[in-house]
Amino acid sequence: MDFSIQKKEKDSGRKHFAAAIIGSGPAGLTAAIYLGRSKVETVVFEKVIPGGYVVNVEKIENYPGFVEGIAGEQLGKLYAKHAEKFGAEIKCEEVTKLELNETPFRILTSLGSYTSDSIILATGTSNRKLGIPGEEEFTHKGISFCATCDAPFFEGENVIVVGAGNSGAQESLYLSRFAKHITIVELLEFPTAEPILIDRLNENERIDLLTSHSVTSFNGDKLLSSVDIKDIKSGEIKNIKVKGAFIYAGEVPNNDLVKDALKLDDKGFIVTDERLRTSIGGVFAAGDVRNTPLRQVATSVGDGAIAGHEAYRFLEERK
Amino acid sequence: MGLISEEDRKYLKEEFKNNLKREVKLLYFQQEESASEYSEQTKELLEELASLSNNLSLELESCDNAEKMKSEELTLCPSIKVKSERKGFVNFYGVPAGHEFISLVEAIKDMGSDNLSLPDEVIKDLKEIKERIDIKVFITHGCPYCPGAVRNAHQFSLANEKIKGSMVDANYFGELSMKHRVSSVPHIIINDRNGFMGNLPPSLFLDKVKEALK
Repeated sequence: MDFSIQKKEKDSGRKHFAAAIIGSGPAGLTAAIYLGRSKVETVVFEKVIPGGYVVNVEKIENYPGFVEGIAGEQLGKLYAKHAEKFGAEIKCEEVTKLELNETPFRILTSLGSYTSDSIILATGTSNRKLGIPGEEEFTHKGISFCATCDAPFFEGENVIVVGAGNSGAQESLYLSRFAKHITIVELLEFPTAEPILIDRLNENERIDLLTSHSVTSFNGDKLLSSVDIKDIKSGEIKNIKVKGAFIYAGEVPNNDLVKDALKLDDKGFIVTDERLRTSIGGVFAAGDVRNTPLRQVATSVGDGAIAGHEAYRFLEERK
Repeated sequence: MGLISEEDRKYLKEEFKNNLKREVKLLYFQQEESASEYSEQTKELLEELASLSNNLSLELESCDNAEKMKSEELTLCPSIKVKSERKGFVNFYGVPAGHEFISLVEAIKDMGSDNLSLPDEVIKDLKEIKERIDIKVFITHGCPYCPGAVRNAHQFSLANEKIKGSMVDANYFGELSMKHRVSSVPHIIINDRNGFMGNLPPSLFLDKVKEALK
Protein backbone atom coordinates (compact mmCIF):
# COMPACT_ATOMS: atom_id res chain seq x y z
CA MET A 1 0.00 0.00 0.00
CA ASP A 2 1.19 3.47 -0.86
CA PHE A 3 1.25 6.24 1.72
CA SER A 4 2.82 9.18 -0.08
CA ILE A 5 1.36 12.63 0.05
CA GLN A 6 0.70 15.51 -2.27
CA LYS A 7 2.33 18.38 -0.43
CA LYS A 8 0.55 21.68 -0.35
CA GLU A 9 2.01 25.09 0.29
CA LYS A 10 0.24 27.49 2.64
CA ASP A 11 -2.77 29.42 1.41
CA SER A 12 -1.72 33.06 1.00
CA GLY A 13 -5.27 34.27 1.54
CA ARG A 14 -4.95 36.44 -1.58
CA LYS A 15 -8.08 37.07 -3.63
CA HIS A 16 -6.44 38.79 -6.59
CA PHE A 17 -3.72 37.35 -8.81
CA ALA A 18 -1.88 38.57 -11.89
CA ALA A 19 -2.39 35.17 -13.55
CA ALA A 20 -4.98 32.47 -12.90
CA ILE A 21 -4.65 29.03 -14.45
CA ILE A 22 -7.71 26.81 -14.65
CA GLY A 23 -6.62 23.18 -14.59
CA SER A 24 -3.50 21.61 -13.11
CA GLY A 25 -2.51 19.09 -15.75
CA PRO A 26 0.84 19.21 -17.56
CA ALA A 27 -0.15 22.36 -19.50
CA GLY A 28 -1.45 24.28 -16.50
CA LEU A 29 1.41 23.46 -14.18
CA THR A 30 4.07 24.12 -16.82
CA ALA A 31 2.50 27.54 -17.40
CA ALA A 32 2.62 28.05 -13.61
CA ILE A 33 6.36 27.23 -13.57
CA TYR A 34 7.08 29.77 -16.32
CA LEU A 35 4.93 32.45 -14.70
CA GLY A 36 6.41 31.75 -11.28
CA ARG A 37 9.94 32.16 -12.63
CA SER A 38 8.83 35.48 -14.12
CA LYS A 39 7.76 36.55 -10.61
CA VAL A 40 4.09 36.72 -11.58
CA GLU A 41 1.62 36.12 -8.74
CA THR A 42 -0.04 32.96 -10.01
CA VAL A 43 -2.88 30.76 -8.82
CA VAL A 44 -3.82 27.35 -10.23
CA PHE A 45 -7.33 25.98 -9.68
CA GLU A 46 -7.88 22.22 -9.72
CA LYS A 47 -11.15 20.39 -9.12
CA VAL A 48 -9.74 16.90 -8.52
CA ILE A 49 -6.09 16.63 -7.52
CA PRO A 50 -2.97 18.36 -8.86
CA GLY A 51 -1.74 16.66 -12.02
CA GLY A 52 -5.06 16.63 -13.83
CA TYR A 53 -6.08 13.66 -15.95
CA VAL A 54 -2.48 12.45 -16.08
CA VAL A 55 -2.83 11.00 -12.57
CA ASN A 56 -5.19 8.38 -14.04
CA VAL A 57 -2.48 7.03 -16.33
CA GLU A 58 -0.68 4.09 -14.83
CA LYS A 59 2.55 4.66 -16.74
CA ILE A 60 3.64 7.26 -19.26
CA GLU A 61 6.29 5.85 -21.56
CA ASN A 62 6.69 8.51 -24.23
CA TYR A 63 7.60 11.53 -22.15
CA PRO A 64 11.27 12.31 -22.75
CA GLY A 65 13.72 11.81 -19.93
CA PHE A 66 11.90 8.96 -18.22
CA VAL A 67 13.45 6.03 -20.02
CA GLU A 68 11.58 3.39 -18.01
CA GLY A 69 8.38 5.43 -17.98
CA ILE A 70 6.85 7.24 -15.04
CA ALA A 71 3.57 6.75 -13.19
CA GLY A 72 1.12 9.50 -14.06
CA GLU A 73 0.42 10.08 -10.38
CA GLN A 74 4.12 10.57 -9.70
CA LEU A 75 4.53 12.94 -12.64
CA GLY A 76 1.55 14.98 -11.45
CA LYS A 77 3.11 15.34 -8.00
CA LEU A 78 6.41 16.44 -9.50
CA TYR A 79 4.72 19.06 -11.67
CA ALA A 80 2.86 20.44 -8.65
CA LYS A 81 6.00 20.52 -6.53
CA HIS A 82 7.89 22.25 -9.33
CA ALA A 83 5.17 24.91 -9.80
CA GLU A 84 4.96 25.57 -6.06
CA LYS A 85 8.75 25.86 -5.83
CA PHE A 86 8.50 28.95 -8.04
CA GLY A 87 5.67 30.46 -6.03
CA ALA A 88 2.48 29.29 -7.73
CA GLU A 89 -0.43 28.71 -5.37
CA ILE A 90 -2.49 25.59 -6.11
CA LYS A 91 -6.07 25.64 -4.88
CA CYS A 92 -8.20 22.51 -4.93
CA GLU A 93 -11.38 24.37 -5.78
CA GLU A 94 -13.65 23.79 -8.75
CA VAL A 95 -14.12 26.86 -10.92
CA THR A 96 -17.86 27.20 -11.43
CA LYS A 97 -18.03 30.44 -13.42
CA LEU A 98 -15.75 32.82 -15.30
CA GLU A 99 -16.68 36.42 -16.02
CA LEU A 100 -14.52 37.56 -18.90
CA ASN A 101 -16.38 40.67 -20.06
CA GLU A 102 -14.23 43.07 -18.07
CA THR A 103 -10.85 43.14 -16.36
CA PRO A 104 -9.80 42.07 -13.88
CA PHE A 105 -11.49 38.80 -14.84
CA ARG A 106 -13.72 37.31 -12.14
CA ILE A 107 -13.42 33.67 -11.10
CA LEU A 108 -16.09 31.99 -9.01
CA THR A 109 -15.18 28.68 -7.38
CA SER A 110 -16.77 26.04 -5.20
CA LEU A 111 -15.29 27.83 -2.17
CA GLY A 112 -15.13 31.52 -3.05
CA SER A 113 -14.40 34.19 -5.62
CA TYR A 114 -11.20 35.67 -7.03
CA THR A 115 -10.03 38.14 -9.64
CA SER A 116 -7.13 37.94 -12.06
CA ASP A 117 -5.51 40.14 -14.73
CA SER A 118 -4.95 37.19 -17.06
CA ILE A 119 -6.27 33.67 -17.42
CA ILE A 120 -4.87 30.49 -18.90
CA LEU A 121 -7.44 27.80 -19.65
CA ALA A 122 -5.95 24.34 -19.29
CA THR A 123 -9.10 22.40 -18.52
CA GLY A 124 -8.32 19.40 -20.73
CA THR A 125 -10.87 16.98 -22.10
CA SER A 126 -13.32 14.36 -20.90
CA ASN A 127 -14.09 10.99 -22.43
CA ARG A 128 -16.70 11.22 -25.16
CA LYS A 129 -19.93 9.40 -24.49
CA LEU A 130 -21.37 7.12 -27.16
CA GLY A 131 -24.97 8.35 -26.98
CA ILE A 132 -26.49 4.89 -27.34
CA PRO A 133 -29.31 3.12 -25.47
CA GLY A 134 -28.45 2.06 -21.94
CA GLU A 135 -25.40 4.32 -21.62
CA GLU A 136 -26.96 6.81 -19.20
CA GLU A 137 -28.77 4.08 -17.27
CA PHE A 138 -25.69 1.96 -16.65
CA THR A 139 -23.07 4.68 -16.22
CA HIS A 140 -21.46 3.91 -12.84
CA LYS A 141 -23.49 0.69 -12.78
CA GLY A 142 -21.04 -1.24 -14.89
CA ILE A 143 -19.98 1.50 -17.31
CA SER A 144 -16.88 3.36 -16.20
CA PHE A 145 -14.50 5.93 -17.58
CA CYS A 146 -11.69 5.34 -15.06
CA ALA A 147 -9.88 2.00 -15.04
CA THR A 148 -7.52 2.92 -12.19
CA CYS A 149 -10.59 3.74 -10.06
CA ASP A 150 -12.89 0.87 -10.92
CA ALA A 151 -10.86 -2.05 -12.29
CA PRO A 152 -10.86 -3.92 -8.92
CA PHE A 153 -14.66 -4.28 -9.13
CA PHE A 154 -14.25 -6.49 -12.20
CA GLU A 155 -11.82 -9.04 -10.82
CA GLY A 156 -12.38 -12.31 -12.72
CA GLU A 157 -15.16 -10.84 -14.88
CA ASN A 158 -15.61 -10.24 -18.60
CA VAL A 159 -15.45 -6.61 -19.67
CA ILE A 160 -15.38 -4.62 -22.88
CA VAL A 161 -13.32 -1.58 -23.71
CA VAL A 162 -14.73 0.74 -26.34
CA GLY A 163 -12.04 2.31 -28.49
CA ALA A 164 -8.60 1.05 -29.53
CA GLY A 165 -6.71 4.32 -29.40
CA ASN A 166 -3.85 4.90 -26.97
CA SER A 167 -6.15 5.33 -23.97
CA GLY A 168 -8.23 2.26 -24.78
CA ALA A 169 -5.11 0.15 -25.33
CA GLN A 170 -3.34 1.30 -22.17
CA GLU A 171 -6.41 0.88 -20.00
CA SER A 172 -7.07 -2.59 -21.47
CA LEU A 173 -3.57 -3.65 -20.52
CA TYR A 174 -4.16 -2.34 -16.99
CA LEU A 175 -7.56 -4.04 -16.78
CA SER A 176 -6.06 -7.37 -17.87
CA ARG A 177 -4.54 -7.64 -14.38
CA PHE A 178 -8.04 -7.86 -12.94
CA ALA A 179 -10.56 -8.98 -15.56
CA LYS A 180 -10.85 -12.53 -16.87
CA HIS A 181 -11.29 -11.38 -20.45
CA ILE A 182 -11.36 -8.07 -22.27
CA THR A 183 -12.93 -7.44 -25.65
CA ILE A 184 -11.83 -4.21 -27.24
CA VAL A 185 -14.43 -2.90 -29.67
CA GLU A 186 -13.13 -0.51 -32.33
CA LEU A 187 -15.29 1.18 -34.92
CA LEU A 188 -12.49 1.62 -37.45
CA GLU A 189 -10.89 -1.19 -39.48
CA PHE A 190 -7.69 -0.83 -37.49
CA PRO A 191 -6.63 0.19 -33.98
CA THR A 192 -5.26 3.73 -33.74
CA ALA A 193 -3.01 3.09 -30.71
CA GLU A 194 0.76 3.32 -31.08
CA PRO A 195 2.18 0.16 -32.72
CA ILE A 196 4.12 -0.71 -29.53
CA LEU A 197 0.82 -0.83 -27.61
CA ILE A 198 -0.87 -2.87 -30.34
CA ASP A 199 1.94 -5.44 -30.04
CA ARG A 200 1.27 -5.70 -26.31
CA LEU A 201 -2.46 -6.13 -26.89
CA ASN A 202 -1.75 -8.92 -29.36
CA GLU A 203 0.59 -10.64 -26.91
CA ASN A 204 -1.94 -10.52 -24.07
CA GLU A 205 -4.00 -13.72 -23.90
CA ARG A 206 -6.80 -12.04 -21.98
CA ILE A 207 -7.42 -9.39 -24.63
CA ASP A 208 -9.26 -9.72 -27.96
CA LEU A 209 -9.53 -6.87 -30.43
CA LEU A 210 -12.65 -6.57 -32.59
CA THR A 211 -12.22 -3.96 -35.31
CA SER A 212 -15.02 -2.73 -37.59
CA HIS A 213 -17.49 -3.22 -34.76
CA SER A 214 -19.58 -0.77 -32.76
CA VAL A 215 -21.47 -1.05 -29.50
CA THR A 216 -25.17 -0.48 -30.15
CA SER A 217 -26.63 -0.86 -26.66
CA PHE A 218 -25.83 -1.52 -23.03
CA ASN A 219 -28.21 -3.98 -21.36
CA GLY A 220 -29.02 -5.24 -17.89
CA ASP A 221 -31.42 -5.05 -15.01
CA LYS A 222 -30.03 -2.91 -12.19
CA LEU A 223 -26.43 -3.44 -13.25
CA LEU A 224 -24.86 -3.90 -16.67
CA SER A 225 -24.97 -7.54 -17.78
CA SER A 226 -24.40 -7.47 -21.55
CA VAL A 227 -23.71 -5.31 -24.59
CA ASP A 228 -24.93 -5.56 -28.16
CA ILE A 229 -22.21 -5.12 -30.73
CA LYS A 230 -22.63 -4.71 -34.46
CA ASP A 231 -20.34 -5.91 -37.22
CA ILE A 232 -20.09 -2.82 -39.40
CA LYS A 233 -19.38 -4.86 -42.54
CA SER A 234 -22.02 -7.58 -42.26
CA GLY A 235 -24.55 -5.72 -40.13
CA GLU A 236 -24.78 -8.74 -37.80
CA ILE A 237 -25.54 -7.93 -34.17
CA LYS A 238 -24.13 -10.09 -31.37
CA ASN A 239 -24.80 -10.01 -27.66
CA ILE A 240 -21.80 -10.31 -25.33
CA LYS A 241 -22.17 -11.00 -21.61
CA VAL A 242 -20.06 -8.50 -19.66
CA LYS A 243 -20.11 -7.04 -16.16
CA GLY A 244 -18.10 -3.96 -17.06
CA ALA A 245 -17.59 -1.53 -19.93
CA PHE A 246 -14.87 1.10 -20.13
CA ILE A 247 -15.35 3.83 -22.73
CA TYR A 248 -12.37 5.50 -24.43
CA ALA A 249 -13.95 6.52 -27.73
CA GLY A 250 -12.48 9.96 -28.19
CA GLU A 251 -12.54 13.16 -26.22
CA VAL A 252 -14.69 16.22 -25.78
CA PRO A 253 -13.20 19.53 -24.59
CA ASN A 254 -13.99 20.73 -21.10
CA ASN A 255 -15.22 24.08 -22.40
CA ASP A 256 -18.31 24.67 -20.23
CA LEU A 257 -16.80 27.73 -18.56
CA VAL A 258 -16.11 29.56 -21.81
CA LYS A 259 -18.30 28.07 -24.53
CA ASP A 260 -20.40 31.22 -24.80
CA ALA A 261 -17.50 33.60 -24.45
CA LEU A 262 -14.65 32.34 -26.62
CA LYS A 263 -14.29 31.31 -30.25
CA LEU A 264 -14.44 27.52 -30.54
CA ASP A 265 -13.91 25.18 -33.48
CA ASP A 266 -16.67 22.92 -34.82
CA LYS A 267 -15.86 20.27 -32.20
CA GLY A 268 -15.86 22.75 -29.32
CA PHE A 269 -12.10 23.07 -28.84
CA ILE A 270 -10.85 26.58 -28.04
CA VAL A 271 -9.39 28.35 -31.05
CA THR A 272 -5.99 29.95 -30.42
CA ASP A 273 -3.27 31.53 -32.52
CA GLU A 274 0.33 30.30 -32.42
CA ARG A 275 0.90 32.35 -29.26
CA LEU A 276 -2.05 30.53 -27.67
CA ARG A 277 -4.11 33.71 -27.46
CA THR A 278 -7.87 33.19 -27.56
CA SER A 279 -10.53 35.53 -28.93
CA ILE A 280 -10.37 37.60 -25.71
CA GLY A 281 -7.22 39.57 -24.87
CA GLY A 282 -5.52 38.31 -21.72
CA VAL A 283 -7.17 34.89 -21.96
CA PHE A 284 -4.99 32.06 -23.21
CA ALA A 285 -5.63 28.34 -23.76
CA ALA A 286 -3.14 25.50 -23.48
CA GLY A 287 -3.09 21.73 -23.75
CA ASP A 288 -5.86 19.36 -24.75
CA VAL A 289 -8.72 21.87 -24.50
CA ARG A 290 -7.48 23.88 -27.52
CA ASN A 291 -7.50 23.00 -31.20
CA THR A 292 -4.28 21.06 -31.54
CA PRO A 293 -3.31 18.15 -33.77
CA LEU A 294 -1.86 15.99 -30.98
CA ARG A 295 -2.92 15.57 -27.34
CA GLN A 296 -0.03 14.18 -25.32
CA VAL A 297 1.80 15.09 -22.11
CA ALA A 298 4.75 16.33 -24.19
CA THR A 299 2.63 18.64 -26.35
CA SER A 300 0.75 19.95 -23.30
CA VAL A 301 4.03 20.82 -21.60
CA GLY A 302 5.07 22.76 -24.73
CA ASP A 303 1.73 24.57 -24.74
CA GLY A 304 2.09 25.41 -21.06
CA ALA A 305 5.49 26.99 -21.66
CA ILE A 306 4.16 29.15 -24.50
CA ALA A 307 1.00 30.17 -22.62
CA GLY A 308 2.96 31.04 -19.48
CA HIS A 309 5.44 33.12 -21.46
CA GLU A 310 2.70 34.87 -23.44
CA ALA A 311 0.65 35.64 -20.33
CA TYR A 312 3.77 37.22 -18.83
CA ARG A 313 4.31 39.30 -21.99
CA PHE A 314 0.68 40.40 -21.91
CA LEU A 315 0.99 41.50 -18.29
CA GLU A 316 4.25 43.37 -18.97
CA GLU A 317 2.79 45.21 -21.96
CA ARG A 318 -0.11 46.44 -19.84
CA LYS A 319 2.17 48.08 -17.31
CA MET B 1 12.42 2.63 6.42
CA GLY B 2 8.82 3.14 7.50
CA LEU B 3 5.68 3.36 5.43
CA ILE B 4 5.94 7.15 5.28
CA SER B 5 9.00 8.49 3.47
CA GLU B 6 11.48 10.71 5.31
CA GLU B 7 10.54 13.67 3.10
CA ASP B 8 6.82 13.20 3.81
CA ARG B 9 7.49 12.80 7.56
CA LYS B 10 9.27 16.13 7.60
CA TYR B 11 6.41 17.77 5.74
CA LEU B 12 3.74 16.21 7.97
CA LYS B 13 5.60 17.19 11.14
CA GLU B 14 5.48 20.80 10.00
CA GLU B 15 1.83 20.54 8.95
CA PHE B 16 0.82 19.06 12.30
CA LYS B 17 2.92 21.62 14.17
CA ASN B 18 1.13 24.45 12.37
CA ASN B 19 -2.37 23.00 12.46
CA LEU B 20 -2.85 20.90 15.57
CA LYS B 21 -3.99 23.40 18.16
CA ARG B 22 -5.52 20.69 20.33
CA GLU B 23 -4.98 17.00 20.98
CA VAL B 24 -6.18 14.58 18.33
CA LYS B 25 -6.65 10.88 18.88
CA LEU B 26 -6.65 8.16 16.24
CA LEU B 27 -8.94 5.45 17.56
CA TYR B 28 -8.12 2.30 15.63
CA PHE B 29 -10.38 -0.73 15.90
CA GLN B 30 -8.45 -3.67 14.52
CA GLN B 31 -9.20 -7.31 13.92
CA GLU B 32 -6.93 -9.12 16.34
CA GLU B 33 -7.54 -12.70 15.30
CA SER B 34 -6.97 -12.23 11.60
CA ALA B 35 -3.88 -10.08 11.81
CA SER B 36 -3.63 -9.57 8.08
CA GLU B 37 -1.02 -7.53 6.27
CA TYR B 38 -3.82 -5.01 5.77
CA SER B 39 -4.44 -4.46 9.46
CA GLU B 40 -0.76 -4.68 10.42
CA GLN B 41 0.20 -2.06 7.86
CA THR B 42 -2.62 0.16 9.02
CA LYS B 43 -1.38 -0.09 12.60
CA GLU B 44 2.17 0.65 11.50
CA LEU B 45 1.00 3.67 9.51
CA LEU B 46 -0.95 5.08 12.45
CA GLU B 47 1.97 4.56 14.80
CA GLU B 48 4.21 6.45 12.42
CA LEU B 49 1.70 9.28 12.14
CA ALA B 50 1.22 9.50 15.90
CA SER B 51 4.98 9.82 16.35
CA LEU B 52 5.01 13.02 14.29
CA SER B 53 3.28 15.28 16.81
CA ASN B 54 2.87 15.53 20.55
CA ASN B 55 -0.72 16.51 19.88
CA LEU B 56 -1.46 13.26 18.05
CA SER B 57 -1.95 9.91 19.74
CA LEU B 58 -3.07 6.42 18.84
CA GLU B 59 -5.47 4.26 20.81
CA LEU B 60 -5.84 0.63 19.81
CA GLU B 61 -9.08 -1.22 20.30
CA SER B 62 -10.31 -4.60 19.25
CA CYS B 63 -13.17 -5.18 16.84
CA ASP B 64 -14.35 -7.72 19.42
CA ASN B 65 -15.12 -4.89 21.83
CA ALA B 66 -18.72 -4.58 20.67
CA GLU B 67 -19.66 -2.25 23.49
CA LYS B 68 -16.96 0.24 22.61
CA MET B 69 -17.78 -0.03 18.90
CA LYS B 70 -21.40 0.75 19.74
CA SER B 71 -20.54 3.67 21.95
CA GLU B 72 -18.46 5.10 19.12
CA GLU B 73 -21.39 4.47 16.72
CA LEU B 74 -19.21 2.33 14.46
CA THR B 75 -20.75 -0.42 12.38
CA LEU B 76 -17.79 -1.84 10.45
CA CYS B 77 -14.32 -2.98 11.38
CA PRO B 78 -11.44 -2.20 10.91
CA SER B 79 -12.09 1.44 11.49
CA ILE B 80 -10.07 4.58 12.22
CA LYS B 81 -12.00 7.31 13.97
CA VAL B 82 -10.31 10.69 14.21
CA LYS B 83 -11.31 12.30 17.48
CA SER B 84 -10.71 15.48 19.46
CA GLU B 85 -12.67 17.91 21.60
CA ARG B 86 -14.10 19.23 18.36
CA LYS B 87 -17.53 17.80 17.62
CA GLY B 88 -17.97 15.67 14.53
CA PHE B 89 -17.90 12.08 13.31
CA VAL B 90 -14.84 11.75 11.11
CA ASN B 91 -14.15 8.15 10.31
CA PHE B 92 -12.47 5.71 7.95
CA TYR B 93 -13.70 2.14 7.48
CA GLY B 94 -10.66 0.32 6.15
CA VAL B 95 -7.29 1.82 5.41
CA PRO B 96 -6.89 5.24 3.80
CA ALA B 97 -4.02 4.32 1.46
CA GLY B 98 -3.12 5.60 -2.01
CA HIS B 99 -5.09 8.70 -2.93
CA GLU B 100 -6.95 8.49 0.39
CA PHE B 101 -3.91 9.11 2.55
CA ILE B 102 -4.42 12.85 2.04
CA SER B 103 -7.98 12.46 3.41
CA LEU B 104 -6.60 11.08 6.67
CA VAL B 105 -4.05 13.89 6.96
CA GLU B 106 -6.72 16.54 6.28
CA ALA B 107 -9.05 14.88 8.81
CA ILE B 108 -6.35 15.02 11.48
CA LYS B 109 -5.65 18.68 10.73
CA ASP B 110 -9.38 19.51 10.79
CA MET B 111 -9.94 17.81 14.14
CA GLY B 112 -6.92 19.59 15.57
CA SER B 113 -8.08 23.01 14.42
CA ASP B 114 -11.27 24.96 13.76
CA ASN B 115 -10.88 24.72 10.00
CA LEU B 116 -14.05 24.42 7.92
CA SER B 117 -13.43 24.71 4.17
CA LEU B 118 -17.01 25.09 3.03
CA PRO B 119 -18.84 28.02 1.45
CA ASP B 120 -20.84 30.09 3.95
CA GLU B 121 -24.20 29.25 2.36
CA VAL B 122 -23.43 25.51 2.59
CA ILE B 123 -22.48 25.84 6.28
CA LYS B 124 -25.74 27.72 6.90
CA ASP B 125 -27.78 25.01 5.14
CA LEU B 126 -25.94 22.23 6.99
CA LYS B 127 -26.57 23.82 10.37
CA GLU B 128 -30.31 23.81 9.69
CA ILE B 129 -30.40 20.02 9.25
CA LYS B 130 -32.23 18.43 12.19
CA GLU B 131 -32.20 14.76 11.25
CA ARG B 132 -29.35 12.31 11.65
CA ILE B 133 -27.51 11.57 8.42
CA ASP B 134 -24.95 8.86 7.85
CA ILE B 135 -22.74 9.49 4.82
CA LYS B 136 -20.60 6.60 3.63
CA VAL B 137 -18.22 7.31 0.76
CA PHE B 138 -17.10 4.13 -1.01
CA ILE B 139 -13.64 4.53 -2.50
CA THR B 140 -10.77 2.61 -4.06
CA HIS B 141 -7.16 3.51 -3.36
CA GLY B 142 -6.51 4.26 -7.06
CA CYS B 143 -9.35 6.76 -7.38
CA PRO B 144 -8.17 10.39 -7.62
CA TYR B 145 -11.77 11.66 -7.55
CA CYS B 146 -12.57 10.06 -4.19
CA PRO B 147 -10.72 12.24 -1.64
CA GLY B 148 -12.90 15.22 -2.58
CA ALA B 149 -16.05 13.26 -1.74
CA VAL B 150 -14.57 11.92 1.51
CA ARG B 151 -13.58 15.43 2.54
CA ASN B 152 -17.09 16.72 1.84
CA ALA B 153 -18.54 14.01 4.10
CA HIS B 154 -16.07 14.80 6.89
CA GLN B 155 -16.49 18.56 6.59
CA PHE B 156 -20.28 18.21 6.65
CA SER B 157 -19.95 16.35 9.95
CA LEU B 158 -17.80 19.14 11.37
CA ALA B 159 -20.46 21.66 10.36
CA ASN B 160 -23.29 19.66 11.96
CA GLU B 161 -22.70 16.89 14.47
CA LYS B 162 -25.91 15.15 13.44
CA ILE B 163 -24.05 14.12 10.29
CA LYS B 164 -21.64 11.16 10.29
CA GLY B 165 -18.95 11.04 7.61
CA SER B 166 -17.09 7.83 6.78
CA MET B 167 -14.78 6.62 4.06
CA VAL B 168 -15.38 2.97 3.14
CA ASP B 169 -12.72 0.90 1.34
CA ALA B 170 -14.98 -0.65 -1.31
CA ASN B 171 -12.62 -3.55 -2.04
CA TYR B 172 -12.10 -4.54 1.57
CA PHE B 173 -15.81 -4.34 2.35
CA GLY B 174 -16.74 -6.24 -0.80
CA GLU B 175 -20.03 -7.64 0.45
CA LEU B 176 -21.26 -4.25 1.55
CA SER B 177 -20.19 -2.84 -1.82
CA MET B 178 -22.18 -5.56 -3.56
CA LYS B 179 -25.18 -4.90 -1.35
CA HIS B 180 -25.17 -1.27 -2.44
CA ARG B 181 -24.27 -2.22 -6.05
CA VAL B 182 -21.04 -0.25 -5.97
CA SER B 183 -19.18 -0.74 -9.24
CA SER B 184 -17.73 2.71 -9.69
CA VAL B 185 -16.31 5.20 -7.22
CA PRO B 186 -16.74 7.52 -5.46
CA HIS B 187 -20.14 6.07 -4.61
CA ILE B 188 -21.92 7.78 -1.74
CA ILE B 189 -24.56 6.00 0.33
CA ILE B 190 -26.86 7.99 2.61
CA ASN B 191 -28.34 6.33 5.71
CA ASP B 192 -27.50 2.92 4.24
CA ARG B 193 -30.22 3.38 1.62
CA ASN B 194 -30.06 5.72 -1.34
CA GLY B 195 -26.96 7.01 -2.96
CA PHE B 196 -25.32 9.07 -5.64
CA MET B 197 -22.09 9.15 -7.56
CA GLY B 198 -19.14 11.40 -8.06
CA ASN B 199 -16.85 14.04 -6.70
CA LEU B 200 -19.04 17.13 -6.52
CA PRO B 201 -18.50 20.65 -5.17
CA PRO B 202 -19.89 21.01 -1.60
CA SER B 203 -23.12 22.79 -2.63
CA LEU B 204 -24.04 20.11 -5.19
CA PHE B 205 -22.92 17.37 -2.80
CA LEU B 206 -25.34 18.76 -0.21
CA ASP B 207 -28.17 18.91 -2.77
CA LYS B 208 -27.57 15.23 -3.58
CA VAL B 209 -27.50 14.29 0.11
CA LYS B 210 -30.87 16.01 0.61
CA GLU B 211 -32.27 14.34 -2.50
CA ALA B 212 -31.14 10.93 -1.24
CA LEU B 213 -33.01 11.52 2.04
CA LYS B 214 -36.36 11.83 0.27
